Amino acid sequence: MTTQAISPLREAWMQFLRNKPAVFGLVLLSAIILTILYGRFIFSGDPYQIVWAPLSPPGERGYLFGTDFLGRDILTGILKGGAPTLAVGVSAAVLTVVIGIVMGALAGYFGGWMDDLLMRITEFFQVLPALLFAMVLVTLFSPSLYTISFAIGIVSWPPTARLTRAEFLRIRELEYVTAARSIGAGNARIIFKVILPNALPPLIVSAALTVGVAILFEAGLSFLGLGDPNTVSWGLMIGQNRNFLLEAWWPVAIPGLAIFVTVFAVSLVGDGLNDAFNPKLRSR
Amino acid sequence: MRLTRRVLLGVAASALALGAAMAHAQTPRRGGELVIVSGENPRHLNPAVQSGVATAVPGTQIFASPLRVDADWQFHPYLAQSWEWSDDGLALTLNLVENARFHDGVPVTSADVAFSIMTIKANHPFQTMFGPVEAVDTPDEHTAVIRLSQPHPALLLALTGALCPIIPAHVYGDGQAVREHPANNAPVGSGPFRLAEYRPGEQITLVRNDDFFLEGRPYLDGITIRIVRDAATATLSLESGEADVGMVTDASSISRLGAIDGLTVTPRGFEGIGPIQWLAFNTRVAPLDDVRVRQAIAYAIDRDFVLNALMRGVAASQPGPIIASSPFYNADMPQYSLDLDRANALLDEAGHPRGTDGTRFTLTMETVPGRDAALGNVPEYLRSQLREVGINVELRASPDFPTWAGHLASGDFQMSMDIVFNWGDPVIGVHRTYLSSNIREVIWSNTQGYRNDRVDELLALAGQETDMAQRTAYYAEFQDIVGEELPVYWVNALPYHHVFDNRIELPLSIWGLMQSMDEVYWTEDR
Amino acid sequence: MGSARYIVQRLIYGLILMIGVVVLNFFLIHAAPGDAAEVIAGEMGGITEEMMAQIRARYGLDQPIIVQLWTYLSQILTGDLGMSYHFNRPVTELILQRLGPTILLALSAQIFAMIIGTVLGVLASRKPNGPLSGFVAVFSTVGYAAPVFWTGLMLVILFAVVIPIFPVEGMVSARFRGTGWAYAMNVLWHLVLPAATLGILFLAQYARLSRASMIEVLGADYIRTARAKGLGEGRVTFHHALRNAVLPILTVAGIQFGNLISGALLVETVFNWPGMGRLAFDSVLRRDYPTLLGVLFFASAVVVIANLLTDLSYRYADPRIRTGGR
Repeated sequence: MTTQAISPLREAWMQFLRNKPAVFGLVLLSAIILTILYGRFIFSGDPYQIVWAPLSPPGERGYLFGTDFLGRDILTGILKGGAPTLAVGVSAAVLTVVIGIVMGALAGYFGGWMDDLLMRITEFFQVLPALLFAMVLVTLFSPSLYTISFAIGIVSWPPTARLTRAEFLRIRELEYVTAARSIGAGNARIIFKVILPNALPPLIVSAALTVGVAILFEAGLSFLGLGDPNTVSWGLMIGQNRNFLLEAWWPVAIPGLAIFVTVFAVSLVGDGLNDAFNPKLRSR
Repeated sequence: MRLTRRVLLGVAASALALGAAMAHAQTPRRGGELVIVSGENPRHLNPAVQSGVATAVPGTQIFASPLRVDADWQFHPYLAQSWEWSDDGLALTLNLVENARFHDGVPVTSADVAFSIMTIKANHPFQTMFGPVEAVDTPDEHTAVIRLSQPHPALLLALTGALCPIIPAHVYGDGQAVREHPANNAPVGSGPFRLAEYRPGEQITLVRNDDFFLEGRPYLDGITIRIVRDAATATLSLESGEADVGMVTDASSISRLGAIDGLTVTPRGFEGIGPIQWLAFNTRVAPLDDVRVRQAIAYAIDRDFVLNALMRGVAASQPGPIIASSPFYNADMPQYSLDLDRANALLDEAGHPRGTDGTRFTLTMETVPGRDAALGNVPEYLRSQLREVGINVELRASPDFPTWAGHLASGDFQMSMDIVFNWGDPVIGVHRTYLSSNIREVIWSNTQGYRNDRVDELLALAGQETDMAQRTAYYAEFQDIVGEELPVYWVNALPYHHVFDNRIELPLSIWGLMQSMDEVYWTEDR
Repeated sequence: MGSARYIVQRLIYGLILMIGVVVLNFFLIHAAPGDAAEVIAGEMGGITEEMMAQIRARYGLDQPIIVQLWTYLSQILTGDLGMSYHFNRPVTELILQRLGPTILLALSAQIFAMIIGTVLGVLASRKPNGPLSGFVAVFSTVGYAAPVFWTGLMLVILFAVVIPIFPVEGMVSARFRGTGWAYAMNVLWHLVLPAATLGILFLAQYARLSRASMIEVLGADYIRTARAKGLGEGRVTFHHALRNAVLPILTVAGIQFGNLISGALLVETVFNWPGMGRLAFDSVLRRDYPTLLGVLFFASAVVVIANLLTDLSYRYADPRIRTGGR
């Protein structure tokens, strides 16, 4: 027992940095986010503006990614469409994690009838066909970025809830929880201050992966014609250009690639976090 | 000379093509099957109680109608071998062929004709088709007399194709509501083909009716209708020969198919439907209640850009409510071409100055779900284009059809981009959307809330006028008025095209595939 | 607990879940603006107000919503899911026609993903830090990160335009009239692209899972014993170790089934595959309530049954659960 012990978080971070794919993912993801946030200041343009002949191939007339079915610049669309796409991904993931943690924490902490009830509800949502149910919700509230994020959140939380519950079941029996209880800490305090911080690592991983899932989900809804028609997003670009696929592959392929690269980066990071937090795999 | 791989344009070209097709007619060959690719799924197969192309194509193969019409709007015998009008124009006598039988062997009689017409009158969405019909008399088994309350020049057309399928009274007369009758999914008609198998949303298989009343017909052994919802996929199946015939409705596919050897691509055969893409205005709400605003929008739209860039030069210009290929079309009606200065001036004059951000006002535009292949790019274009004159357009995409229909029917909209069909005679497809008496809470009525007494009067006169020249004159004046007042901006005729294998002899009437295909044959084995 | 009793219990519970799905969606759908009479009116090509009133009466749409729900639920128990507004025929008939193709697609994709994924994972597990392992890790993420419909569209372009060897539309050729073996081959030929598209999506999970559990299992005592007995590495990997890694793989297969249905919806739309997914898509766009509710009911049934089968195979594969001792 010499000087300072390395904190678990720091140790995980070191571990993460040793994981090459994860670091690559992180760099990629940072590049994407920076491009989306600042790219539009350097490259200002209106994604709705018709700039050149429809469906002209990449590179023609200096339009790096070509033009879409209306003759709008695809590069501008990718840059401007990135923010809404990521916003949907992140907000749906936040909703997913919030619902999942609340349900899972209550079920895992209190157990008994509460656990039974909440797990029945979770099972119910797992049986619901996710995409179909999201379509019903979006149809009901009419498509916008908000309703889409909401719908994705509503259908995606059960795995997070199960995970949280499992962590809570494990941790609530540990000594320090018993100790906290014995000094008279209230339930809320134990849940949020004692157990949750310790259950957090796997939940962070799951949240990261959910961002990717939500982006894919939004793309799927847009492809089916249930995207928000008044906001450019990558999924919407695919959906709108899909009818011209035989004539021009790039207006479909490029936004798809953008989604792919983003989700790919997100999942590399998520996997890296998973390995970093999970010492069992690490030791091998 | 064979017309190969050419995208034929315009009415003049159509006439030329027809002449050419007739010139090289050969002796028809028996045998072979036809695969038709269709973008829409029919609700059922009985056109007597269901409008729409998806039902009409198989429906007209299964059911025969009293008359047929050709590519020049001329009528020919079908179930009726002859017909004559009474002198006062209030009775039409049909003399039926004597050897026609339904697919179940029961003879077709005048009672079936009377039953069919009265069923259609009571149930079909197009109320004007048989509106003036008071009764159908049946003096004998093979004579039917249609009695009218007023002269009805559209009647002959209403007896052709999908508008008047003769359905068996012994099947549909069993007391069940015809609209929901189980036989609509397993129809028994007297047409050239009978239903073999119907897999909803997937495939309709028709086989030759060996007992057809026209000797030696049909030439084909069968027709398969394959339902493919995605335009690109449908195009691929025509390209690869998986399908032989298709009705292609989007410009992108048409221009692609036009470049393929061995395929004929032609706009002929849609004169009857008369498919028009329009931008409808709700004339009851500000600022669209001001005719200057509507005209300004018309001046702000670049029709040439729509036709050449968006429609790839395969759609015809359509400046008015009556399809340009119709004999009633008035080529001298008011037209609007791109003039941004004039549009801006009109908007200033109407009291809508530009705000600090250059925007005058915001309008919402409804779009129909699931039709973006045919019209999706025009709403997007208008959103970009109307900004030029300071009008901000917001698209309101309804997630499903009933939501859209609800907005339109209840008047809860400002502008709407939609497709409307002429259906042959203006009485059927045009009157309904301009008559003030037809401002109703259902879609495809006068949902624009447009009122003009002279228009009401002209349409009433034209609907009863049997003299062609006089009738044309009434419609000409009608087109002048609505062209001036613009309850609707007619964007273009939709680029509907028939695409088929060159080896098929396919006579295309104004109804295209929506009339009996008993004369269709393969000129050589496929 | 006896197996039979267990199955019955699970089935009853599953049925309750399915009815819950229907009730929830029933209320949601009816909360939307516009009503079914407008749907039917639109389907018929526009009709008069009187006809709409008739339709409302005929379909019971003029009744209070609770009465409508009650009628609907009592119909379900007799196997009647009502009439489709769009297809104008019994929903049960429509769905039964579409169920086969969807299950065929989902199972083929599942098997494709399971076999290839497991093989990749097992190979990777033999050298956990080797290049193959890294390749599997990245490659499996690739399959998962692309939107499934996009993968499908890209395959359509590739196989329809560049190398036209597989059909890109439908389940059977329109012109095909054969039966038996020839029919099966025709279907199989059409199945290749959709099944591969859907399978790629799930490849990742199987590859990772089998890699992880193999790493765990390969470290266990009995494997060391097997190695010590001098058994070949191939036999150790595929015979002894894999058998024990199969449990988690089965579990995931069951859980995946719900996602598989969602994926199938998109893939069916891309490839014009005549399954339930496309039916669902059509019915959402048309707001064909009876069909939509019917599809939701059947889709949740598929998930319930898949979960049950997973459970059962789990119990079979792991004797500890079967005997109840843990």
